[in-house]
Amino acid sequence: MNSNPVKIALLGIGLIGADLLIKIHRSKWMQCTLVAGRNREAVGMQRAASLGYPITDGGIDALVEQPQELYDLVFDATDAISHIRHWQLLQTLGKKVIDLTPSGIGHMVVPSINAEDSMAHANINLVSCGGQAAIPVLTALSHHVPGIRYIEAVTTASSLSIGRSTRLNLDEYIQTTECGIRVFTGVQAVKALVNISPARPPANFRVAMSMLAPGVDPEAINAIVHRAIEVLRSYIPGYRLLTCAVLNKERVFVTVEIQGRGDLLPTYAGNLDIMNAAAVTIAEQYAIARLRCSNPPALQKSIYE
Amino acid sequence: MPLHGCDVPILLLCRKAFMSNKPRITISDPSLRDGNHAVRHQLNREQLRTYASAVNAAGVHIVEVGHGNGLGASSLQVGLACLTDTEMLETVRECLTSSRMGVFMLPGWGTTRDLVLAIKHGVDVVRVGAHCTESDLTERHLGFLRERDVEAHGCLLMSHMASPERLAEECARMEGYGAQAVGIFDSAGHYLHTDVTERISAIRKAVSVPILFHGHNNLGMAVANSLAAAEAGASIIDGCARGFGAGAGNTQLEALVPVLERCGYSTSINLYRLLDAADLAEKELMEKVPTISSEGIVSGLSGVFSGFRTKVVAVAEEHGVDARDIFFELGRRQAVAGQEDLIVDVAMELRKSIPETP
Repeated sequence: MNSNPVKIALLGIGLIGADLLIKIHRSKWMQCTLVAGRNREAVGMQRAASLGYPITDGGIDALVEQPQELYDLVFDATDAISHIRHWQLLQTLGKKVIDLTPSGIGHMVVPSINAEDSMAHANINLVSCGGQAAIPVLTALSHHVPGIRYIEAVTTASSLSIGRSTRLNLDEYIQTTECGIRVFTGVQAVKALVNISPARPPANFRVAMSMLAPGVDPEAINAIVHRAIEVLRSYIPGYRLLTCAVLNKERVFVTVEIQGRGDLLPTYAGNLDIMNAAAVTIAEQYAIARLRCSNPPALQKSIYE
Repeated sequence: MPLHGCDVPILLLCRKAFMSNKPRITISDPSLRDGNHAVRHQLNREQLRTYASAVNAAGVHIVEVGHGNGLGASSLQVGLACLTDTEMLETVRECLTSSRMGVFMLPGWGTTRDLVLAIKHGVDVVRVGAHCTESDLTERHLGFLRERDVEAHGCLLMSHMASPERLAEECARMEGYGAQAVGIFDSAGHYLHTDVTERISAIRKAVSVPILFHGHNNLGMAVANSLAAAEAGASIIDGCARGFGAGAGNTQLEALVPVLERCGYSTSINLYRLLDAADLAEKELMEKVPTISSEGIVSGLSGVFSGFRTKVVAVAEEHGVDARDIFFELGRRQAVAGQEDLIVDVAMELRKSIPETP
């Protein structure tokens, strides 16, 4: 452990939160000082306790009552609607928040594109798992392909990897994913769709991306997509290209699959990993930046600039 | 012109219904929704108007309209519709005087915004769907509809993938969310009549709201399965004119209704007008009348969503692979409706496994 790790409060300990805790546990830059859930009997809470972390079932209210020096950074892994109130409270306390819900309130960050933005904003929104998977590829394409008139992203996640909050947040998930794609690519006509697969054995997390543009060059597309994925693989090694094709000369069609590290759930649950890998990447960069506060941090530059 | 003098209620032709104490069956007709799959979602205003007016005259209880995959589904993934949801709803609403207007939505595809739009355009019944074991995805949208006093049904798609007990549990959950009817879709046309009996019976024991059944005809079982559903206690049955729907088509409406009546169920639907509507549908809506093609049979056997058919056939041809192999591979992967992006992947993988011929 680093001598001066960032002190983390983890709010929400469902599937995303519990997987994130394992990743925080592994990081030398972070130390979790409180896990705030709502149900002491929940599997995630038990797990947090067994790893030796302090837990409370008082949720956000218990969190804000803690001494302020207990934590520097809050990961909000609850749900989009709760995040609205959480942010109101945490903002007044001057806390930095990384929001893993699809609330769309904070500044959207996708680490391979604009990780450096996360230093300047107090509330970082990680869009959605589909957004984290699709936006790097779509943004890279948008910088090279002229005249894009429509983008579509279809996410498929295994039923076993989708917790109750996500199930109730599908509307926000779609809205925020679409918004994220618009913000990063500049293309306005965007559609996001979500499938929850009941298949057993469970289907791997995957995203299918389509883009309509006139006269695209398949070879150039292939090169751009491969380059974008290479960068992604630096923090999400299970990211794999399945198909990259140009259909009917005007539809770029890319499918990718993301296998997780198998921390909380087996590798099919890449949706947890891509969110949490993004969260950890940003938090670690924040930790490094704090340590070097006298010198500006050497942040990863976007490859697209 | 139809012979109006012969507009006898179907009841008179099927005397058995008089003597029966069997329940009344509500007929829901998704020709203008599921049928959209068969024409790549290209039904136009005139077609909607023509058919909606005809089934309204026949006294069909619910007329469903929309993109084949429901509200908000027009996309490259499953096909861009020729009309917007608003255009479809407006058009059909104007034609219905006695029939109620229905729509379908799948959370993850449609959102609450789409529901707001449908309510604005006068929808009477909304069917909220989720795949077999995923009924909790309907909680929010069923709740939203009930708060606004819109009739809401909970539907389990691809229901052959789950056991009767599990389907019963999921249906009970949707009843708890406020669904005023719950039931199952045989999206792949995979069921035999005994499968249906078992499932509807299990659901019957678990819920107190009406039960619905939506069949597909891939194995030639749609009418028999729908009858089995009614016999086991379902009281809302779906049927489409000439079976106009995804893949091998749905339960053929104009056969379903008289079969139910002969078995003692009343529908109060006018037979001649119903037959006229079906004739009109064949003439005005369809490129061809649905048949049980070889791919349709394979789709049913492998348990793959009927709506994949058009795309599978096109992709198979483009990549030089056997469409039947694609279906069986999709079945092995347990693909559900909405996962059309798997088709190209599967075709490309199959292509790689074919040895190059010299």
